[in-house]
Amino acid sequence: MADLSIKVMVEYDDFSLSIDEEVSLTGITGIFGHSGSGKSTLLKVIAGLEKHAQGNLAINDLHETDVLLASEAKIFVAPQQRNIGLVFQNSRLFPHLTVEENLRYGQKRRKNTEGNKSLDFTEIVVLTKLDNLLTKSVAQLSGGEQQRVALARALLAEPRLLLLDEPLSALDDKNKILMLTLLTKVQKQLNLPMLYVSHSLAEIQQLANNLLVLSSGKVTHYGDIHQVIHQLTTNNEILHQTSLSLTVKEHLVEYGLTSLALGDQQILMPLNQQIENDANTYTNVRCIIAASDISVTLHEPSESSIVNHLQGTITSFEPCQSQILLTVNCSGQDFFVDITAWSAQRLSLIVEQKVFIQFKANSVRTLC
Amino acid sequence: MNSTHPDMLALITTLKMAGITTIILMLIGTPLAWYLAKMKSRGKVFIEALVALPLVLPPTVLGFYLLLLFSPQYLPGQIWQEATGQQLAFSFSAIVIGSVLYSLPFVVQPLQKAFEQLGDDLLEAAAMLGASAFDRFFTIVLPITKASFITAASLGFAHTVGEFGVVLMIGGNIPGETRVLSIALFDHVEAFDYAQAHIISISLVISSIVLLSLIYLLNRPNKSRLTTKKQTESKRFS
Repeated sequence: MADLSIKVMVEYDDFSLSIDEEVSLTGITGIFGHSGSGKSTLLKVIAGLEKHAQGNLAINDLHETDVLLASEAKIFVAPQQRNIGLVFQNSRLFPHLTVEENLRYGQKRRKNTEGNKSLDFTEIVVLTKLDNLLTKSVAQLSGGEQQRVALARALLAEPRLLLLDEPLSALDDKNKILMLTLLTKVQKQLNLPMLYVSHSLAEIQQLANNLLVLSSGKVTHYGDIHQVIHQLTTNNEILHQTSLSLTVKEHLVEYGLTSLALGDQQILMPLNQQIENDANTYTNVRCIIAASDISVTLHEPSESSIVNHLQGTITSFEPCQSQILLTVNCSGQDFFVDITAWSAQRLSLIVEQKVFIQFKANSVRTLC
Repeated sequence: MNSTHPDMLALITTLKMAGITTIILMLIGTPLAWYLAKMKSRGKVFIEALVALPLVLPPTVLGFYLLLLFSPQYLPGQIWQEATGQQLAFSFSAIVIGSVLYSLPFVVQPLQKAFEQLGDDLLEAAAMLGASAFDRFFTIVLPITKASFITAASLGFAHTVGEFGVVLMIGGNIPGETRVLSIALFDHVEAFDYAQAHIISISLVISSIVLLSLIYLLNRPNKSRLTTKKQTESKRFS
């Protein structure tokens, strides 16, 4: 298992980035932060496009350490020598080349390390649904198509690490979902480690296994995606929400619902074509439930249109402005619930109390 | 006119001078324009002013200082004479060096503008795909800024053909060596041979119009994009 060791400083007049972190290069790591937090600068440092970076940067494998930057020893590996791919926010396709020529540009220059089976051009083209566009000029492509070409071009260069800098931010909702699905598939099929920068937590939550949070050029959180979102919620740094990754149990097509397993209980969410059609990719579903969408009852509701009610225990009771943030543990999973102080008093809720939480199927949100 | 005619000889000398000058200009103008386009320090303004100087300075001023420098009394002329055994002033080499300096802004400015417009985005993308600096220049920069290269070379060539003052000062009027068309024209006028002067003048006017028209044709804005748009539109209506 490889990891990326980052001990880097970047100093500008009005901004500084200072990172000291070992980032595991497995699956997708999300890098989240507001604009100006330094997330794009961090990607540029890793890519080798930030000339002002000071410090050390290396990829550690089981057997060897590959130094990319060691400013004291005057080591700076040029971007083209790093074998790291980068998909930019704007697709940056070469305007004088066709789609196919763009794709071949990286393929021709790839540094195939011994023993690795090289990627099949057709396989990537089919995966990214570009088979009908190969002979087109890039000016004829839509925004979504351009980003797919940019992704396929980066993949065909066979990088050992793929960086993505807000790759969805210029796309409309429909294309965002297409790209997210595509990235999930790419990650599954190619097993390529990715660092995914975004200011949208919802996007990152759909893709990433790990989450690194940046604020004013410093790492404030790093860890498992659900745990970090949990921490951000308890610290009141984001809208209170519960982030879940659940196994698909079955599709109740006649009711338009999908059943997800949560221990011996179940959660129902609206049936989603994407998830139903692509059962291989979506054995698991990532979803978010806003704390304001969940309510608490003392007895199991039997005559309610609300489909989800789960039994659980209150594990935390935190006053937060005029509201109370409850943490309710149901079958081992913590759920965040926002209720008013008035309701908390009326139901005389206390820690360790057994309660039921309820929420509509529609409040279980997923981006795909 | 046969090749022994003095004006024919002047034409050949002119084309040789302009051709060699253009090649040298492209070789030194490209890296200089690249450096100016990418440079961010304040010293850039000074170099830019220096490059643009021939645009405003009377050619005779440039010619006067070059004449001094090229003479054996000064170090550059002295070094040249020791290295080649020949005097630099009043030689073909002198008018080529003079032309390179005189036409430099015509090559550097369009290239610098093209490199600035190109920006770093595509070059960064190419680097991330494994392309070295050399590779990026030939596969990205050159094809995209091709029109500007042709413009720069044509302007450099045309401007060199049209120069008079610098050549007169440092080259004199040696047939087959430094006697170029503009000087030959001046000679004819001085000798009241207006018929011959007309021939040279009108040929220079016509060839300049043709060359400049070609440059403007090449630089029509968004030429390629317009055709693609037209194609998609015609497809939509068919």
